[in-house]
Amino acid sequence: MSAPGLTGLAEACREITAPGSDPELVAALVAWAVRPRRTLEGVRRALASDAGGGTPARRLRAHVLPHLDDDDAAHAAAVIARWVARGCQLSVVGDPGYPSRLAEGWPDTDGPVLLAASGQVPEDRPTVALVGSRRASSYGTGITAWLAEAAGEAGAHVISGGAVGIDAAAHRAAVHTSGGTSVVLACGHDVDYPRSHARPGGLFDGIRRAGGAVVSEQLPAVPPRAGVVRARNRIVAALADVVVVVEGGARSGALLTATAALERDRVLLAVPGDVRASGSVAPNRLLGEGAHPCTGPGDLLEHLDRLAHRAHLAGTGGVAASGTAAEVDRADPLSALPAPLHAALRAAWPRAVPVDVLLERVELDAGAALAALTRAQVAGEVAEGPEGVVLCRRPAAPQRLIS
Amino acid sequence: MGRPLAIVRGVALLGLTAREVRVEAASSPGLPLLRLVGLPDAAVREAGDRVRTAITRHGLRWPGERIVVNLAPADLPKAGSAFDLPLAVAILAATGQVPIAAAAACWACGELGLDGSVRPVAGQLPLVAGARQLGAERLLLPAAAASEAALVEGLELLPVADIGEVVELLGGRCAPRVVEPLPRQAGVTGPDLAEVRGQPVARRAVELAAAGGHHLLLSGPPGCGKSMLAARLPGLLPQLTTDEALEVAALHSLAGLRSPEQPLDLRPPLRSPHQVVSAAALVGGGSGVPRPGEVSLAHRGVLTLDELLEVPRAVLDALRQPLEQGEVVLTRSRARVSYPAKVLLVAATNPCPCGYLGDPRRACSCRPDRIERYRARLSGPLLDRLDLQVSLRPLDPDALVGAASGEASSVVATRVADARQRAAARWGGGTLNRDADPQGLRHATDRRALARLAGALHGVGGSARAFDRTLRVARTIADLGDDEVVRTVHVEEAVAYRLPATRGAA
Repeated sequence: MSAPGLTGLAEACREITAPGSDPELVAALVAWAVRPRRTLEGVRRALASDAGGGTPARRLRAHVLPHLDDDDAAHAAAVIARWVARGCQLSVVGDPGYPSRLAEGWPDTDGPVLLAASGQVPEDRPTVALVGSRRASSYGTGITAWLAEAAGEAGAHVISGGAVGIDAAAHRAAVHTSGGTSVVLACGHDVDYPRSHARPGGLFDGIRRAGGAVVSEQLPAVPPRAGVVRARNRIVAALADVVVVVEGGARSGALLTATAALERDRVLLAVPGDVRASGSVAPNRLLGEGAHPCTGPGDLLEHLDRLAHRAHLAGTGGVAASGTAAEVDRADPLSALPAPLHAALRAAWPRAVPVDVLLERVELDAGAALAALTRAQVAGEVAEGPEGVVLCRRPAAPQRLIS
Repeated sequence: MGRPLAIVRGVALLGLTAREVRVEAASSPGLPLLRLVGLPDAAVREAGDRVRTAITRHGLRWPGERIVVNLAPADLPKAGSAFDLPLAVAILAATGQVPIAAAAACWACGELGLDGSVRPVAGQLPLVAGARQLGAERLLLPAAAASEAALVEGLELLPVADIGEVVELLGGRCAPRVVEPLPRQAGVTGPDLAEVRGQPVARRAVELAAAGGHHLLLSGPPGCGKSMLAARLPGLLPQLTTDEALEVAALHSLAGLRSPEQPLDLRPPLRSPHQVVSAAALVGGGSGVPRPGEVSLAHRGVLTLDELLEVPRAVLDALRQPLEQGEVVLTRSRARVSYPAKVLLVAATNPCPCGYLGDPRRACSCRPDRIERYRARLSGPLLDRLDLQVSLRPLDPDALVGAASGEASSVVATRVADARQRAAARWGGGTLNRDADPQGLRHATDRRALARLAGALHGVGGSARAFDRTLRVARTIADLGDDEVVRTVHVEEAVAYRLPATRGAA
């Protein structure tokens, strides 16, 4: 160790170092990253251009350690304390605690050098990333929930960015399934963005409790600037085996996720959308450029099934047992809704129906119909959004879309 | 010792509350001078000059001695020009031009012109009503305001057109004029509900609002009919009784919005202040004795607030107390007044800053966090008080072209009147379901319905206040369906009017 201050820092880092990583190296990397004009991404580029041998950890150590002094250590201490407060664990690329999908091909691929996580991203199951815009339509969130739930119940892990809109729909639908879900933050761990998800008892807490992980490559307190969000999207793509773009505008970050997915040889799916809707520009363009169409969980599970994890899945009764969309269908649920209301919602699914339109179709008295909708909403059968009422789950076989 | 003291009684208003003011005049040898004592404001102090000019120009005698006029009680602040007439009468009595006994049996209120004419003042109607309440039997008042005053029963009116007529009348040289009371203006006018196309949920909500007095929030993109629905609400309310109409007219008179010749309006008032309204204009205010604001001017009627979220937060919060208690209490350094404010609030808002969230034909251009912040401006406590929250959607073109199919206002008004009668019979004294006592409410509610309500509100994060308020809406729904017991379906429908915005704010 070149500077005595770093020895003390390594001691402090022991608490936040993931098993299998070296606290001393973590301390050195943090000390490097906190100083201006030095980035870990710069280190990665330097290593990528200089052909060397050895493990990533050994090469990082050789590159970083000689340049550090006590000043760096002093700056790093405060940052480390904030990670401690949040209960995060840091792992270095290539180490056992670091997601292996993200480390593939490093340093030629752009996996982060240091990853802070609370919880562990599971390595042992197929993983799908569901991505899309924050400003999502009910169609988008409906499809996302459908895909995420089916994938999660088939044992696949669902990754997304933790934002509102499509991301939130994916996490919510998958959080209580056997596959689980994890978040890649677009900010530091203690920034609490988006606030409604990060507050105690919010979505992120729920994900951690359910065994999922919340990860970020950023130092604490880094705000979700546009550049940081774009960088985050490459991690989402890298952590997944299959990436599905559900909704996004012409300049959506989902297109960057798609590009990152192709660079890493991930399977890219896109959900066809309404050609008139601005939110469908990104997936429809990707379909034109050769992405696989995703018309339901069947398509998604098929691609997951083809991947190398097939054997493992068969063993746990994962994808193979669940089969395609046709088999995921359950018996017609005991609906709290009067038959005509249920039929109207089923016919529209996954689109929302404005309440007024619904009332005109069913020819029920406004009061009685509203009462029934409340009952169904309390029972969790339907949800109401700005665009109207929508069934929360995919309706059963009789009215099924093509699968 | 000079002549005996001359006394005439006048009325001072603190808000709608009348206080008796004894105007005492005494003349004594000295320089010809008028002194006014007893906390007069600038307008009352000027009365001296007006009265003096009016008396002399009218050929009556102004005394060549010192006159002191006391407005008792001396600690009560007096404002305005309504003391001109009692002042003049007291001076005329003190100088022997009218009999002291006749003056002492009279109350008087009115303003004098320099030519001696007697004119009505702002707040003439509450002055007359106040005099009656304080036990006045004979009242001298401007002839122009006599017909209006005749609406107040049990008062002998002495209408006078000028100061000369006062002398004739009190001297017993002529008989008082005969007064015809004002006509009452009734009948449903205004736009009809039949013209509103589609919007079944909003129509239902408007009917419930009319029947139970529940406050209404209409949210929807521009042009979907929010203002149309709000404008039709007063037409669904029952007509005011004469007493209620007098109370409303008194408030309008106090604000200077009513001329005495206007017929008494039995229709519930509709007030629609612009969204840049100030807190003082909305709930009342002003220096000295505060004047009634829009929320009091809409008393027993409808107050509409368009673009609710463009109204400053402080102004919205000022609305909370009047909505809850049905009256506004304004405290100033010189007076503490309360005005009644039993209004039905109809608020309208866009669903997001650009207005097009949820519109199928036009994309919303707002960022999600902006929408969240926009909705957060509806403070939780005010949102809780808006019992009926309805999202409106733009009409599709087919509905615009076809024939209007909705029920007419008169049909709905009949149902509303029936439901109101049921509520009034239950709670007594014309109480609306909105103001019903929570204990009594729970008593007549099905046990399963209560459990259902608790469960449903827990699911959407409602407060304890929301519980009782939702139950009141359910009571109105049951009343409209002529059901004595509040059942589960009533409760479920009531919760439906709370869901959209509650979730939006979460």
